[in-house]
Amino acid sequence: MVLLAAAIGTWWFAGYAGQDRLGEIAIAAIFAMSLDLMVGYGGMVSLGHALFFGLGAYALAGLTLFLKWPPGLALPASVLLTGLVAFAIGRLIVHLGGVFFIMVTLAFGQMGWAWFARDRLFGGIAGLSGIPQIDLSLLGGDLANPADFAIVAVTAATMVYLALARLIESPFGAVVSALHRNAGRARALGCPVQSYKLAVFTIAAMLASLAGTLQAQRTGFVSPDLLVWTSSGELLIMVIIGGIGSLLGPIAGAALWTLLHHYLSAVTPYWMLIMGAFFIAIVLFAAEGLYGALARLAWRRPHV
Amino acid sequence: MLPDPASLVIQLLNGLQYGMLLFLLSVGLSVVLGLMNFINLAHGTLYMLGAFLGLSLVGVTGSFWIALACAPLLAAAIGALFYGVLLRHLQGESAMKQVLVTFGLIFIGIDTVRMIWGDYEEAIAAPALLADSIRIWGQPYPAYRLFVIALGLVVALLLWLGLERTRLGAVVRAGVDDRVMAASLGINIDAAFFGVFCLGCWLAGLAGVAVAPVLQIYPGMDVAILIPTLIVVVVGGPGSLRGALLGSLLIGMAETFGAVLLPDFASFMIYAVMVLVLLLRPGGLLPARQTA
Amino acid sequence: MRSHGWRGGGPMFRAEGLYKSFGALEVARGISLTLPRGARHAIVGPNGSGKTTLFNLLSGELAPDAGRVFIDGRDVTSMPPDARARAGLTRSFQKNNLFPELTVLQSLAVSVAIGDGAGAVFWRPFVRSADIFRRATAIADRIRLTSHLETVVDTLPYGTQRQLEIGLALAIEPKILLLDEPTAGMSADETAEMAKLIAALPEDLTLLVIEHDMEIVFDFARRITVLDYGSVLAEGTPAEIRASPEVRRRYLGETAP
Repeated sequence: MVLLAAAIGTWWFAGYAGQDRLGEIAIAAIFAMSLDLMVGYGGMVSLGHALFFGLGAYALAGLTLFLKWPPGLALPASVLLTGLVAFAIGRLIVHLGGVFFIMVTLAFGQMGWAWFARDRLFGGIAGLSGIPQIDLSLLGGDLANPADFAIVAVTAATMVYLALARLIESPFGAVVSALHRNAGRARALGCPVQSYKLAVFTIAAMLASLAGTLQAQRTGFVSPDLLVWTSSGELLIMVIIGGIGSLLGPIAGAALWTLLHHYLSAVTPYWMLIMGAFFIAIVLFAAEGLYGALARLAWRRPHV
Repeated sequence: MLPDPASLVIQLLNGLQYGMLLFLLSVGLSVVLGLMNFINLAHGTLYMLGAFLGLSLVGVTGSFWIALACAPLLAAAIGALFYGVLLRHLQGESAMKQVLVTFGLIFIGIDTVRMIWGDYEEAIAAPALLADSIRIWGQPYPAYRLFVIALGLVVALLLWLGLERTRLGAVVRAGVDDRVMAASLGINIDAAFFGVFCLGCWLAGLAGVAVAPVLQIYPGMDVAILIPTLIVVVVGGPGSLRGALLGSLLIGMAETFGAVLLPDFASFMIYAVMVLVLLLRPGGLLPARQTA
Repeated sequence: MRSHGWRGGGPMFRAEGLYKSFGALEVARGISLTLPRGARHAIVGPNGSGKTTLFNLLSGELAPDAGRVFIDGRDVTSMPPDARARAGLTRSFQKNNLFPELTVLQSLAVSVAIGDGAGAVFWRPFVRSADIFRRATAIADRIRLTSHLETVVDTLPYGTQRQLEIGLALAIEPKILLLDEPTAGMSADETAEMAKLIAALPEDLTLLVIEHDMEIVFDFARRITVLDYGSVLAEGTPAEIRASPEVRRRYLGETAP
């Protein structure tokens, strides 16, 4: 609630750049929440989540630019397509243990990057531009206007948050939480653990691709940079500094990181070093992240 | 379509050379993974540091051989430092946290190199002794590349001897096989792990210097090589020397021949190999521990 | 799902010639076992005789090198633990295997949900699943943990955790229950509580228990299997076992482990 108020406040008062930033943060928030679903609730740490972000964006680009689909139709289609790919990949890898899983997701992420960097159809390294935006003129809006885009993005982020909150509080979420804590016992009780993990993997991927399509809508542009491993890495950092295993944590982390990134890279070309050190400090000393630390102050126990 | 035998041999040697490079990098990573269920994502950073330190050493001493000897030691020292300062604090925590810390180190590593050596691509000249080409089947082939192949094979042999014949090697093999058992037998697993970790860092540094005359060195080369290295570990199977060797050769060949035969799909080849192995033999081709 | 022999007249649970070795170490050598519906069967034997390995083979955590396992006539040998649980078999563990950071009620409720397959529901809040929580509370009553419903599992005393260990297994209403040393590490009072719990288990539940405490064994068991070095040393009624010369020599004659 507080965050929503802050978002509305920012939108109201900030200028052009502020609203643009808000849209960016909203997209990052969706992306971060999707990773948190996989990492914090499903217990699967992925360093290749940007793959699905990129696939969503590229699918949108492909459908609208090559197949001439209307963007309003292409967007949900892209999410579904990415879901299918995620399902296929997930079937191969969800049974792998923690550290192995990290390696394989990193590899798959880079595979996506390598594909799109070479593929001439999608513009190679330079990417594609000119992706059409959804026509909101009926609603009196125009996505090219950062103010309107921010509204759409924040609304989307809020809906994702509410949907995920529902999912986590449902029996499905309870079972996933249990198998995160003790997969062996869940299995012994009859839980098809791999199926649940695959479901979480696929849902997380589809949400990431939603974020990707929104990004394509925001900038009208896609490039392999969307999929590069450092994007996945930055996302993981976002989630961890915000606080794993809650939904508000990633949102806070996304906001913090986006802002920090912008300011730091304006100040010094060595922002990666500072972020790396900051991240390590968080992992070492404040493993529950921002949200956990705040929750400890506000309530007795962090709400997990 | 069939290449003539001379080109075939050239490509084979190239693949072998690249494979040896991957081997030097992957064997340390793989054994550490098998021993402690821990992946040092900053492994490539040590490779990069090895290359740049080698560059500086050559600049200072004018001798490639000194650089080859010293840079890996420096890399191992840096690795040991990280281990002592950071990783040991996380000894009791989940392996995941340790991995995340190494991930943060990658970020720090890249910028550190940029700060000290600048943003540009560099190269080291091959030592005078190996600067010429040797004629293979009528085609000139750089002698230095043959040196790299030889280096890799010698290292592989020494490692194999070390694993099979020395006490430390026996401890490592026991630890990879069953960590808990080895620890409960009173073997100092922590010391063994530290030793293996440092050896892995040394190998990474060695790879960095050795390959500098062949490839360009630049900040970010750590990640460029990390991915194929990880794929080698996945394909070869964690924890085993033979797996690392087989995996490196396989991936080295796949990438080299892929670039020649299917240039559009070149970089895709190694991922295709990984996916294939994941499908057919999820534990890797020659893992140390046979899983159910 | 095959319905071969489903709810037929045959034994509820059967293992045939189970073999398992780890390298040169043979941990199970041709173990066979037959349990009728409602059995009260104990597995005893010195440490290292292969009791827990047997359980792992029966519940699916380990795959046998040879031999087969049947649940109600159905060959489940190639099934993983979760499939066997859905077929009606589950177990408790020798070392407490609980869900960290959940309360007793939450642990039992999620176990009931897993047993029901209720995890497929993703739109309704879990806490509103009245039926599931009612059944979870009922199990808590049965295992005498009603006063601890809201307590986080990690903070419970060991003996209480042990009771929950069995409670989780009961939550999925199994047909066959394997209990691995339920009284391990318990005081005399706690052991007595556990004995009452075991006595109160449903008549038609097929029960197989590994135990070291011979008092408990002779209390509840109608048949006993004695294991030694991975093979069956003797099997029979408590009276037969007490009288068996091999057993007297190898096991009951020894001082307590």
